[in-house]
Amino acid sequence: MAKHADLSIDFLGFKCENPFFLSSSPVSGTYEMCAKFLEAGGGGVFYKTLTTTIPEECSPRFDVPRKEATPFISFKNMEQTSDKPYQDNLDAMRKLKENYPNKLIIGSIMGMDEDNWEEMARDYTALGIDMLELNFSCPQMTYEGMGSDVGASVELIDKYVKAARRGSHLPLIAKMTPNIEKMEIPAIAAIKAGAQAISTINTIKAISGMDFDHYTALPVVNGKSSISGLSGKATKPIALRFITNMAQDKELQGIPLSGIGGIETWEDAAEFIMTGASNVQFTTSVMQYGYRIVEDMISGLSIYLAEKGFEKLEDFVGIALKNIIPADDIERDFKILPKIDYDKCVNCGRCYISCFDAAHQAIDWDNENRKPTIDEKKCVGCQLCLQVCPVYDCITPGKILFKEEDQFGKGSKTIWKEEAPNKHDIIVGKYDKP
Amino acid sequence: MSDSNNVGVKAGISLKPTQGYLEETVPPFTPFLAMEEAARCLLCYNPPCSEGCPADTNPGDFIRAIRFRNFKGAAEIIRSNNILGGVCARVCPYEKTCEGACERSGIDKPIQIGRLQRFVTDYEKSTNFQVLDPPKATKEKVAMIGSGPASLSAAATLAMKGYPVTIFEEKEKAGGVLSYGIVPARLPQYVVDEEIEYVTKLGVEIKLNTKVGKDISLDEIRKQDYKAIMIGAGMQITRTLPIPGKELEGVTTAVEYLAKARSNDASFNAGKHVVVIGGGDVALDCATTARLNDAESVTVLYRRTREEAPANRQELEYTESLGINFAFTLSPSIFESENGKLTTVKANGTRSKSAMKIEADTVVFAIGQQPEDFSKVIEGIGFDKNNFITSLENGTTSVPDIFVAGDIDIDSTKTVVNSVQGGKIAAISIEEYLTKAGRKQAFCSPMHPEGGK
Ligand SMILES: Cc1cc2nc3c(=O)[nH]c(=O)nc-3n(C[C@H](O)[C@H](O)[C@H](O)COP(=O)(O)OP(=O)(O)OC[C@H]3O[C@@H](n4cnc5c(N)ncnc54)[C@H](O)[C@@H]3O)c2cc1C
Ligand SMILES: Cc1cc2nc3c(=O)[nH]c(=O)nc-3n(C[C@H](O)[C@H](O)[C@H](O)COP(=O)(O)O)c2cc1C
Ligand code: SF4
Ligand code: SF4
Ligand code: SF4
Repeated sequence: MAKHADLSIDFLGFKCENPFFLSSSPVSGTYEMCAKFLEAGGGGVFYKTLTTTIPEECSPRFDVPRKEATPFISFKNMEQTSDKPYQDNLDAMRKLKENYPNKLIIGSIMGMDEDNWEEMARDYTALGIDMLELNFSCPQMTYEGMGSDVGASVELIDKYVKAARRGSHLPLIAKMTPNIEKMEIPAIAAIKAGAQAISTINTIKAISGMDFDHYTALPVVNGKSSISGLSGKATKPIALRFITNMAQDKELQGIPLSGIGGIETWEDAAEFIMTGASNVQFTTSVMQYGYRIVEDMISGLSIYLAEKGFEKLEDFVGIALKNIIPADDIERDFKILPKIDYDKCVNCGRCYISCFDAAHQAIDWDNENRKPTIDEKKCVGCQLCLQVCPVYDCITPGKILFKEEDQFGKGSKTIWKEEAPNKHDIIVGKYDKP
Repeated sequence: MSDSNNVGVKAGISLKPTQGYLEETVPPFTPFLAMEEAARCLLCYNPPCSEGCPADTNPGDFIRAIRFRNFKGAAEIIRSNNILGGVCARVCPYEKTCEGACERSGIDKPIQIGRLQRFVTDYEKSTNFQVLDPPKATKEKVAMIGSGPASLSAAATLAMKGYPVTIFEEKEKAGGVLSYGIVPARLPQYVVDEEIEYVTKLGVEIKLNTKVGKDISLDEIRKQDYKAIMIGAGMQITRTLPIPGKELEGVTTAVEYLAKARSNDASFNAGKHVVVIGGGDVALDCATTARLNDAESVTVLYRRTREEAPANRQELEYTESLGINFAFTLSPSIFESENGKLTTVKANGTRSKSAMKIEADTVVFAIGQQPEDFSKVIEGIGFDKNNFITSLENGTTSVPDIFVAGDIDIDSTKTVVNSVQGGKIAAISIEEYLTKAGRKQAFCSPMHPEGGK
């Protein structure tokens, strides 16, 4: 067999078999479900969040936005915490830890007040599970002072982390809400109050689409709807920026991050790990495809790491952080012109339309031969054409031109040269090459 | 071989107008197209496509791997189950195997599984991805007769388990029908060569120009310390009909005709007016070969109707799109000649009193194959009247150290993918036999004469 890297990694002192976990949600809602995922190869589970009072749920409760024919671009849900009896859930978590001692078993709690947080933490600790996740981030709780309201309030976080700490000696992971500008602030508050790690993102408050007959949002619950949480693939870029911000924050150095948001492939997972997460969690992809997706995550990531020569996953964590820099530090003295491969071009004209209507009118269109030509003088190297071209490897990054050094900042009068005094090697990115 | 101006259509894919004999007809998928096709896959529960693959190549899993951008994992799934993954991707009768079982047909049309498999095996090669890493060959020596798909698959399976394997092949090139039969437009030689190299890189030795029964006898093989021998000799004889004129120059067999064309030497003359007799895939390959090598007229003569012809439908349509004539429910009655040269094929209706006269300088028999007579080479095993070996369970025979797989096995369904599977199964039987025999030597005690468990 091909070489596969070892994916095991430490998380708060627990040696995880691999970094792939179910996030707390209906996909981790019973013993049988979690067991099936662990049997499929998953490294651990964050069991569905419990509250001591069972919430009432609505029907329907999901919406699945599409782009063209592709479903699950993102996913909107209106669910709250577990709808199963509290004691049954506790029994399930205890049994999971008994039967899967080498897998990471984490319980997720959400208290109503300090006493409730403390009491739940105590109940969970008695189960023998490994850690607790504190859910400060569900955006659709129907009770005041619960859910993402907490995640946005430094005071509430401080109170509730301390309460949970009183009830438990186990490592505490604070699950943060993305419905906020700077997640570092509540994250630091959680750590100061006694949490050991941060997990994020929970769902983003959203309206995923509208009903055109009943004039309300989706899903329609007897003619009405609400703003509620969005998850899935489209939310990944937002999640990655939160993880990056925290991983780069001075005060959070050394604090393990658990990445969540739109993960369905090994590449998605690797993106979170590269930007500083030491493990990842997922829900929406399991709702669409089932637990089996973890098989390709394990296979894909272990082959990739072996080929890149990483001895252990640890060495890959945060490897991209040094290359993600403030926008004003980005080099701006060169442009990469696109190059059209006319043997591959099918003469659709999409590059022309996008360049004219949305960029710099730098593509000439020969209508008779249906042939696009790039005008090097007008082209700014934004590469929009490359992104819209429907043919694989037809438009690619081509010639690199440099600004004359003293021309910097002079806009349209800039002189561009292939051979310039400030010429240097330029790293060119990959464009969806497998 | 020149470019002819044939345009074909296959499975709804328009082919290049300059389609030549050596050029692969179906274009490869780009990564975008592979992803689009994989995105059509329904990712079924207990995927029936996987059930439909005779060689357990596991399309359900490898398509899912493509879908989740795990291309190398997909290559691993294919290669670890099917050493000839790239060959099968091109020649499998998908409509009867994986694609025939595909549930997407309930919506529109099946996933192009073969083409996706080809994408993955091409990707594996282009990235130099090394899937298989054999252990040291320290176990008993095993010999194979013939280097077709059955032997290649059995040899690879055994090599991966640590057995040194030698293949004896009478021809100067390995691969059997892959190198001497199937048209390059469907299976380019480089694909065959690369996959054979895959097998030899696992440590398998191929002795070419060595015919078992002539250059080396079975006893000599046994004396050279080979502890098990597998027969994968295929079907080397093309059947003919006892028709007046069949000895004429210009009358040939499919095996000969295709082998000559494939060897690509100057001596191959496709003929100007070619008549192919038969209605199966081999007949179509002969007709395509003639057409792509510039025959002016090509006629396929078949004794039953188009519907009854066993040929693959896509291939049949493709052959028709090349401008090849088909004459159904006709059977040849006489080959006429002038000055010793073939001039005409006369045929009579099999279901009517029709008669037909076709100008011909070349006639190719493609009405079925059968194995050579091995009864003198290997004694003690069973043969039927057409020289097929009557195997017992899982590729075993009535002689303990003799095994069989591929076309020569009476139970085989005579396709590459079935031969691959036959080879894998025979390899497991060989391992079982050798480990039992090994145990017998190691632990033989009066209490457990069979070696015990
Ligand atoms: C023209 C043609 C087209 C075909 N197209 C397809 C197709 O599209 N798809 C498909 O699935 N199947 C196809 N088949 C069938 C397929 O090729 C066979 O089922 C398959 O090759 C059988 O594999 P094998 O290993 O049993 O034998 P073969 O491929 O026949 O190989 C047997 C080898 O044994 C060697 N040999 C024989 N006797 C001896 C001896 N005494 N000593 C040493 N070596 C010996 C032969 O030289 C040969 O190399 C086609 C067959 C033909 C003839
Ligand atoms: C239906 C549904 C229910 C969820 N319930 C919970 C929950 O009980 N507790 C929690 O912490 N997060 C919950 N989440 C959020 C997920 O755990 C996860 O943080 C979020 O969906 C983003 O990941 P994803 O894009 O992989 O789905 C839920 C998400 C969904 C879709
Ligand atoms: S978008 Fe691509 S294929 Fe279409 S005209 Fe432009 S270069 Fe050609
Ligand atoms: S080996 Fe052949 S039958 Fe099997 S999945 Fe691949 S193409 Fe289909
Ligand atoms: S049967 Fe067809 S649709 Fe279903 S998994 Fe297989 S290839 Fe995909």
